[in-house]
Amino acid sequence: MLEMQGLLNGFALAITPVNLLFGFIGAVLGTAIGVLPGLGPAATISLLMPITYALGSPLTSIIMMAGIYCGAMYGGSTTSILLNIPGEAASVVTCIDGYKMAKNGRAGAALGISAIGSFIAGTFGIIALTFIAPPLSSFALKFGPAEYFSLTLLGLTLAAFLSGKSMLKGMIMAVFGLLLATVGIDPVTGSLRYTFGTMILMDGIDFLTLAMGVFGIGEILISLEEDMNAELVTTKIKDIYPTMKDWMESRWAIGRGTVIGFVVGLLPGGGAVMASMLAYAIEKRVSKTPERFGEGAIEGVASPEAANNAAASASFIPMLTLGIPGNPAIAMIFAALLIQGVQPGPFLLVEHPDVFWGVIASMYIGNVLLLFFNLPLVGVWVQMLKVPYSIMAPVIVMICSVGVYSLKNDIDDVFMMFIFGIMGYILRKFKFELGPLLLAFVLGRILERSLSQALIISSGNLAVFISKPISAALLEAVFLMLLIPIILMMRGGKQGNNPS
Amino acid sequence: MKRWERLSATALFLVGIGGAFGAWKIGFGSFQSPGPGFFPFWLATLLTITCLVFFLRNLGADLISVSLWTKGSWQRPAKAAGVMFIYVLLIGQLGFISSTALMFVAWSRIVEHSSWKSAALLVVCGTAGLYLFSTVLAIPLPKGFLI
Repeated sequence: MLEMQGLLNGFALAITPVNLLFGFIGAVLGTAIGVLPGLGPAATISLLMPITYALGSPLTSIIMMAGIYCGAMYGGSTTSILLNIPGEAASVVTCIDGYKMAKNGRAGAALGISAIGSFIAGTFGIIALTFIAPPLSSFALKFGPAEYFSLTLLGLTLAAFLSGKSMLKGMIMAVFGLLLATVGIDPVTGSLRYTFGTMILMDGIDFLTLAMGVFGIGEILISLEEDMNAELVTTKIKDIYPTMKDWMESRWAIGRGTVIGFVVGLLPGGGAVMASMLAYAIEKRVSKTPERFGEGAIEGVASPEAANNAAASASFIPMLTLGIPGNPAIAMIFAALLIQGVQPGPFLLVEHPDVFWGVIASMYIGNVLLLFFNLPLVGVWVQMLKVPYSIMAPVIVMICSVGVYSLKNDIDDVFMMFIFGIMGYILRKFKFELGPLLLAFVLGRILERSLSQALIISSGNLAVFISKPISAALLEAVFLMLLIPIILMMRGGKQGNNPS
Repeated sequence: MKRWERLSATALFLVGIGGAFGAWKIGFGSFQSPGPGFFPFWLATLLTITCLVFFLRNLGADLISVSLWTKGSWQRPAKAAGVMFIYVLLIGQLGFISSTALMFVAWSRIVEHSSWKSAALLVVCGTAGLYLFSTVLAIPLPKGFLI
């Protein structure tokens, strides 16, 4: 009942003309940028984040960012279907059947089922968010510094575990991200850390500078090595509303994708990418005609698209209730809220119920807006795809530069962004995942603060982390996470040594 | 790939060693009263250990030789990085809008090898967009001796 009351209040806030307008602008801008190849939700949010700073109100800002995030998730599929280049990582598997459908003259059906599947899954995710978030938030109020330390550690370990092929590489990136977060003035003692006597590092590294560097500039540098001018399916896009046959073929795929996406989306580091891949794999496994997959099966579009949107909604849950962002895009929303003076976490519902419920309500509205505007606007998005990358790249460099400069009106930040861009490019070349780096950077301060507080409270007794049941359980999970790859490695080694 | 993995592990291992040394110098404190270098010290140590493990796991020769860059593929990113650094140096001297216009020209001609016509189009549309963007958001972009 309290949830319904809160939600109604949220709707009252979200449908004010200003919030509605910025939610809509966010969704359209998010889709427009998300459509561009190579720019995923994280890069899209980082590019558009300076606009949200100028808004002043934390609620309006987060409503706009939620719109950008959901819009970017929708937009990514358009590029996958029409261009065979994933607009964002979560749409990689959509390319397989989506592009084939487009080639077979069914681009409209692929785009249509993708949008409708996304809408259904996104709405399910938001409904679950409405009812799961408040009790989880109340439970998290019992957390002290030791529990927070263990929870953050678990989040980071999961992020490293699920980030890519190598957990070790994910861990290296997470630790490196934590180390970067310590640069600047120590918040407790005021001592300078890793500033190398320069003024430029005294204020520490700004999150947006790092994010725009590694995701925005780094992405452009990588893209310059690749041919981004792939063949666009230019046949007239018609019949975007699925037929009864399409619907019958894809309804269970949407259902399965939604559930898989929601569960995976709750895990830090899991997110939309893993959800869509898992959903596609399961869909192919359960299909009676798996040979159709890869040849333009509509379930191959419906399931991953539903999964990535359900995951996108689910990933708000750990951020809003526990203060643990699960993926880089959510980490950006988290950081933007901190800058606006709002601390996401268990106290958010108590201290800023307007922000909490306003966001949830605006996600309902945003999802409906995206469905109704995306399908009719498909033609516009297709036109955007015709803009050559040779024009887009320098424009993105300009937007990043203005965005970072506008933070503190300091050119040094622009310089640092380019340095991080090159760092992001090199790390990508060496096949390091950048998600754990960014997540760790955001969580670094929380981890350090909770560690220091727990140690001071317990007079330096490390047993504080295992004497509290919740903290002990969380640390056990961390231990298990670390143990799994070691066991797998040893088993792999044994098998490798066995000549048979 | 193992050769490249060892190289990246070594580079980050050195960052870890340097980080741990730097953190110790700032002040480790104690478990009862952690100093400013306490948390960074443990992080840098962890980075060193993970990089060492990563290095050891990648010992031995590659079965297939893998190159991170195909022939000449590094050239466009390198040129783009050069253009970006000159751009940031020019902002303080020429102002944001003028240096952005120059960056567009340099990018079009040096990185993309586009025609003068498309470079001019990018300059006109891009700088007009920048002017509008900064005016709407009231961002005080630095002015140089041009605009």
